[in-house]
Amino acid sequence: MGKFSGLIHNENIKIYSRARTWVMLLILAVMSALMPVLFYFSASDKSHLMGLWETFQMTVSVAFFLNTIFTVVVASDSIAGEFSWGTIKLLLIRPWSRSKILLSKYISMVLFSLLSTVVLIAFGLGSAYLFSSQTGDVMTSLTGWSPSAYSFMDLLFRYVELFLTATLAFMVSSVFRASGLAIGLSLFIIFAKNLIVIIFNPDRYEWAKYLLFTHMDLRVYLSSDTGPGGVTLGFSIAVLAAYYLLFLLISWIVFRKRDVAA
Amino acid sequence: MLTTELAEPVARLQGVTKKIGSKTLVSDLTLDIPAGQIFGFLGPNGAGKTTTIRMMVGLISISRGDILICGRSIKDHFEEAVSHVGAIVENPEMYKFLTGYQNLRQYARMVSGVTKQRIDEVIKLVGLDNRIHDKVKTYSLGMRQRLGVAQALLHRPKLLILDEPTNGLDPQGIRELRDYLRRLCQQEGTTVFVSSHLLSEMELMCDSVAIIQNGRLVDVRQLKNIGDTVVAAAETLFEVDQAETAMALIGRGIVKEGGLVLEVTREEIPALNELLVNGGVKVYGIRALSRSLEDQFLEMTGGEGIG
Repeated sequence: MGKFSGLIHNENIKIYSRARTWVMLLILAVMSALMPVLFYFSASDKSHLMGLWETFQMTVSVAFFLNTIFTVVVASDSIAGEFSWGTIKLLLIRPWSRSKILLSKYISMVLFSLLSTVVLIAFGLGSAYLFSSQTGDVMTSLTGWSPSAYSFMDLLFRYVELFLTATLAFMVSSVFRASGLAIGLSLFIIFAKNLIVIIFNPDRYEWAKYLLFTHMDLRVYLSSDTGPGGVTLGFSIAVLAAYYLLFLLISWIVFRKRDVAA
Repeated sequence: MLTTELAEPVARLQGVTKKIGSKTLVSDLTLDIPAGQIFGFLGPNGAGKTTTIRMMVGLISISRGDILICGRSIKDHFEEAVSHVGAIVENPEMYKFLTGYQNLRQYARMVSGVTKQRIDEVIKLVGLDNRIHDKVKTYSLGMRQRLGVAQALLHRPKLLILDEPTNGLDPQGIRELRDYLRRLCQQEGTTVFVSSHLLSEMELMCDSVAIIQNGRLVDVRQLKNIGDTVVAAAETLFEVDQAETAMALIGRGIVKEGGLVLEVTREEIPALNELLVNGGVKVYGIRALSRSLEDQFLEMTGGEGIG
């Protein structure tokens, strides 16, 4: 029957044999390395340079958009690609259940997101170290976190957002077999979610507390004990977990039952 | 008993029905595919061939009935049943950004026991040695077809299912395909189930053929029954100059344009010829008027459009 690790290996090959993947990682690396340089040379006075962690955080706030978009691209193509290439017909007639094939695809997508995040951190932090003031950061006093801890909590919460967005893209890809739709819809959510939270403010509408968008950005908890609508971090995590499981469940049910007649 | 074990059909379709909405694509299809044969699945476009094949490999669900591969249900024991099957469904689609070899490695990783030697062996069998390390996007349709057969054979399946394998192949490619399917069947004992709407092609390739139309099984017949053709009387045309005289000499037959037509066995022909020659009739030729499968097929399915 072969080993499950073989399936993940296969999926990884499909991701990393494509030039596109390396172009995305290269752009992400360049972008992460370039931001601190730009901050460095645009500072009017070298005495007003930002500290290491402040520079890194500014870099992350820009580069993480790219990271999310690239992961969404990989997630969207994972299933939809097989359908548009027609290779799904050869993939699904192996002695593996569809559930396991789906799981191997999901795991390889998550592995990519981790790799791209590591690339972002390595290049962003390295460059920030070279192009920042050595005098230290000023943002320490604001939250009670140390600058490094704050930066990594910020990264973690951004990654949660990426993780959910990519899982959503994965679900759309599984349900509609169209990578364009999956990418488009995910990008729409990335950019429109703040607007949606403003329109359906959980302070005004009770039910808005249960919307995914309200809780996607957990970073509010870094500076406050209560989140949107006065909920706790635990509540937010529970809502996110519920949506996450729902996305996975829908992907799984649809993929397992689908008649493949492409 | 061992003999009954061997005689067990590789695949059994039992009252297989596929409905999508109110449309019935395949209706109550019951068919046994005997082991060690090249078995043809013949029908006009839209008859339900590909739908049936998709059900056999579990790509689509079966509305009613069941399909057993080596005695295991494709519905209830998918992984076990499908492990005996190698298939190409419609066109052989491959990962174009990978080489032929990398594509084969993909499928080799999904089953146990496919060694490097086996991969090389299969590549040689389909004759792709020279181009196997090129990217698939540079392959012609014929080469992709070969790679498709290679991936289907990797795990030494008992049943090889090929959906319209001659589509897009040139005459030489078709001939080669026919030859290695024959070799496969004889040397490795693989049962081959091949669908086509090309009747003449089926005649050359298959031992038996099932004919399907409008989702229903119309007929199953053996094509290569050597014993039969020798013994059975066949309509034979004697090309002669005086058909009337010939009929008088032999005492039966029908006078047709070009000569005399009558049912004779192969063994009778020399004696009849001698009789005619001695009777002063000039014999220009003698040939059997066996109807091709195509005639029979059109007769059977003729007159009905895609419905």
